[in-house]
Amino acid sequence: MSVLQIEHLTKDYGSGRGVFDVSFEVNQGEVFGFLGPNGAGKTTTIRHIMGFSRPQHGTTSVNGLDSWKDHYIIHKDVGYLPGEIALPEALTGTQFISMMAELRHITDMTHTDYLIEKFALEPSGGLKRMSLGMKRTLAIVTAFMHDPQILVLDEPTSGLDPMMQDIFIGFLNEEKARGKTILLSSHIFSEVDATCDRIAIIKDGRLVSTFVADDLRHNESKTFKIEFASKEDFERFRTEVEYPQKLNVISVKRHRNQARVLIDDKDVNSLIAILSDYHLNFFTEIKFTLEDYFMKFYDENQSVEEGVENAAH
Amino acid sequence: MFSKTIFKQTLKSNWKLWAVFTGIMAVMSALVIAVFDRKMISSMMNMVKNMPGIADIIGDRMDSMTSVLGLLGQSFYSLQGIILGLIFVIMTANSLVASQVDKGSMAYLLSTPIKRSKVVRTQALYLISSVLCMFLIVTSVGLVTVQVAHHGLWAEEYTADVKAAAQVLDLSDETVAGDLTLILADDDAVTSGAEARGIDKDVYTTYLGLKMAENAGVEQPGIPADQMEKIQASFMAGITAAAEVLDVDASDLATDMGKIKNSDAAMTAAVDASGLPKELFVTIVNGQLANDELTLDQGIEFSVKDYLLLNLGAFLLLFALSSISFLFSCVFNLSKNSLMLGAGIPIAFFLFQIMSQVGSSLEDFKYVSLNTLFAPGDITGGGTFWPQFAVLAALGVVLYTVGVEVFKEKDLPL
Repeated sequence: MSVLQIEHLTKDYGSGRGVFDVSFEVNQGEVFGFLGPNGAGKTTTIRHIMGFSRPQHGTTSVNGLDSWKDHYIIHKDVGYLPGEIALPEALTGTQFISMMAELRHITDMTHTDYLIEKFALEPSGGLKRMSLGMKRTLAIVTAFMHDPQILVLDEPTSGLDPMMQDIFIGFLNEEKARGKTILLSSHIFSEVDATCDRIAIIKDGRLVSTFVADDLRHNESKTFKIEFASKEDFERFRTEVEYPQKLNVISVKRHRNQARVLIDDKDVNSLIAILSDYHLNFFTEIKFTLEDYFMKFYDENQSVEEGVENAAH
Repeated sequence: MFSKTIFKQTLKSNWKLWAVFTGIMAVMSALVIAVFDRKMISSMMNMVKNMPGIADIIGDRMDSMTSVLGLLGQSFYSLQGIILGLIFVIMTANSLVASQVDKGSMAYLLSTPIKRSKVVRTQALYLISSVLCMFLIVTSVGLVTVQVAHHGLWAEEYTADVKAAAQVLDLSDETVAGDLTLILADDDAVTSGAEARGIDKDVYTTYLGLKMAENAGVEQPGIPADQMEKIQASFMAGITAAAEVLDVDASDLATDMGKIKNSDAAMTAAVDASGLPKELFVTIVNGQLANDELTLDQGIEFSVKDYLLLNLGAFLLLFALSSISFLFSCVFNLSKNSLMLGAGIPIAFFLFQIMSQVGSSLEDFKYVSLNTLFAPGDITGGGTFWPQFAVLAALGVVLYTVGVEVFKEKDLPL
C-alpha cells in the first residue's frame, strides 16, 4: 500500500527551475531515497508533500489525503525535518520543545525524553546561542517527538558531526524496523546506501531513474582492476586478450600497467584461466557503488552538454 | 479561531519591542501634558494678539494650543505618537509573518496539525492587541499625569494658602474657605497665605478680593473697550521697557511680572515708558498676577471624553496602517519586499500629511494620505470625525482579512 503518492507533479518556477512531471510512490514500511544535487528539485517536491506549495499540475497525497487541502490532518502522522534549520530565536530549547509538544497535543513526554537522551541533547540554553549541530539535534527531536508513522527528511545529516550522523542513521534503521515509512532526500551517497530500499534520482526537476537498492548491490556483472608485473606482460595481455576481444576491457592505464575488465559473474572462471598465463601484482574487484551509478546520469548529460558547447564554438 | 500556544510564543518573542515603544510613547505624552502651562500660553496669546502680523502667521494653531488637548493634538497625536506607533507596527508586522517565512522558522509551526489560517490569524490578533494595549497604557498614563500635574480630573478641595492661613488662624479649612475675609483681617494669615502661594502680600490681597468676587458671583467692573485697548498698549510699552532694563525677553517678562516689582530700576523704566501713573501700573501688574493665580485655581480645562476620543482615533489610524504592513507581510516571502511596501506606504502617508500642513501649495497632498482621516483638531475643536473613524476601522478589517486569505492560498518556500 502506498503511503506517499506523487503523481505527475509539476511546478515551474521559470528559467528551467522547478519540478516537471515527477511521479513516484513510497509504500508502507519502505525507506525511499531521493537523490540529487542541490537545486535538482528535491526540496520543491517535499514542499508539495508537506502542503506548503500548491502543485501546478498533478497531485501529492499522504495516506490518501491531498497534501494541499488536508495539510493539517496529514501533519498528525508526519515528522518533517527541514533542510535548513531556522528556529524561533527568542526561545530556549526547553521552551521550544514544550511549545511543539503543545502544538502537537502531546501530553506523554516519554518518547520525547527518549529522543533527547538518544541524541544527547542539552536543550536548556537559548536557541540564539546554540551551535548548528545542536539546533539540528533539537530539530530532530521536535520532528519525531510525536512518534509519527511517516518521516519526511530533507538532507537530515548535514550539519551533524560524524558521530551524530552514525547515531542518526542507527535511529533511521530502528524506525525502519518499527515499520515506519521514510522519505529521505539527500546528496550523500553513504547515508542513502546505508538505509534505503528504493532510490530515485532526480536531475533538473525530472526523475531520471527509480530502482531497488539491492539490485545495485547485487549486480550480475563486476569490474576488476588488474595490475601486471611488467610492461611485457601488459603488452602481451593487450595483443592476446584485449584486441581479439576475449574479455571486455573497459579501460587501461599504460604507465601503471593496469587494465579494467567488466565481466559477468558466470564468466569469472575464464577470467582466472586467462590471467593465470600472466605475472600479476594484484587483481581486485572494483565495487560498483551508488555514486558511480549516480554519476553515470550526471556525466552522460554533462558530456552531451559539453559536446553541444564545443560544436557551437 | 486562534492558537493559544502560538500566541504565547509570539508574545515571548515580541514583548520587549512592544514594552520599549509603549514606554517611550507614554513618557512623551505625559511630558507634553506635564509641561503644559496655561499661564504661560495665555500670556503669550495676549502678546501675540497685539502683534497682528505674527498672529496671522500662527493663526488658529495658536488657538488650539491653549488647552492640553489642543497641545497634545498638535504635537503628540500629530507627530511623535504616530511615527513611533508606526515604526513599532512596521517592525512587528514584518517579524510576525514575512520574516519567519524568509528565515524558515515558520516551518515548525506549519508542520504541526494546525491550519495555516489559524497560524496567521493568531499573528494578526497579536498585532492588533499589541497596538490596542499600547494606547490603553498611553491613555492611562496620560490621565494619571493630568491629575498629578494639574489636578485636572479632580480638583483639590482647599488650596494651599487656605490651609496655611487656617493653621495660623487656628480654624478649620472649611471655615476659612467659606469666609476669606477672615484671612484679610489677620496680617499673619495674609503673610502665610501669600507664602504658601509664593506671591507678594499685595498681590495676594488683590487675589483674595478677586476670589471673593468670583465666589459671590459678582461680575468684575468692566472698563470701556477703547479705553482698555489704550491702557493695554501703554502697559505693553512699559513691559517692553522693563524687559530691556532687566535684559530679558518681553514675552518671558509677561509671564513672570513679579520680576518688575522686584527691581526699582525696571519699575521706573516701565512706568516712564508706559506714561501711566505708577499706582495704576502697579495695580495692573498686581491684577494680572492675581488673575493668573485665579486661573491656576480653576485647574486646567480637560475633557476626558475628548481625550479618550483622541486616543481612539490614534488607535484606529494605527490599526488601519498596521493592516497595510500586515497585508504585505502576508503577501511576500522575503522580508525586504515586505518592508518595501509594508513600511514604504505608511511612511509615505505620514510624510504626505506633514507636507500638506506646511503650505497651501502642498495642501492637496492630504488627499493621498490615510493620516488625514485622523484629525486631532476636529476632535478637540468640535468637527466631524466619526465617519473618518468608521473608514479607518473598515479599511483595517478588510486589509487584515485579505492578508489572512492571501497567506492561506500562497506557496511557501519552507
